[in-house]
Amino acid sequence: MRAKKGDPMAELRIRVVDYKDDRLLSRFLSERGKILPRRLSGVSARHQRQLSVAIKRARYLALIPYIKGYSG
Amino acid sequence: MTRPYEVVYIFDSALEEAAINEKLTNFHKLTQVTEDAAPTLNHWGKRSLAYPIKKRETGYYVIANFEADPKSLPEFERAIRLDDGVLRYLVVLNDEPPTPANMTAGKSEFEEDE
Repeated sequence: MRAKKGDPMAELRIRVVDYKDDRLLSRFLSERGKILPRRLSGVSARHQRQLSVAIKRARYLALIPYIKGYSG
Repeated sequence: MTRPYEVVYIFDSALEEAAINEKLTNFHKLTQVTEDAAPTLNHWGKRSLAYPIKKRETGYYVIANFEADPKSLPEFERAIRLDDGVLRYLVVLNDEPPTPANMTAGKSEFEEDE
């Protein structure tokens, strides 16, 4: 078992990322709401592809912001 | 041939629940294949939006899952677009159902390490 640098999605037993799960998605966003690169989050390539689509859908549905911490 | 779809609606939160249900029935009539194939609805209810849409800060979210003929979708989406009560909607193919959110929601120890 990969103890430390495993795919966090695999640890959560996620097979297909859900765009409606904003709490999950927010773990893979930077402070400003950008998508974190794989080298920081440790997500597998397969899950990163799913994640990018899921985050974009969630942004469109106003579940997560396009930009965080910006006002005016 | 039918395919599985998932639709997310964001209604104006000022609408009554009865009015929302009526709109939903009207929309889904356009995609329904057989009489007994009713869509599975999941009302999230009122939720604050991450950013304002049409000057609204909150929206009433409804998720619908159903089987539909792809040919019926343009008419279905046209009806939704014409409805002013819908702030936003999203139709996606649901042929690979995602791992449900409630499976991860309980695992709070993962939420804190940010």
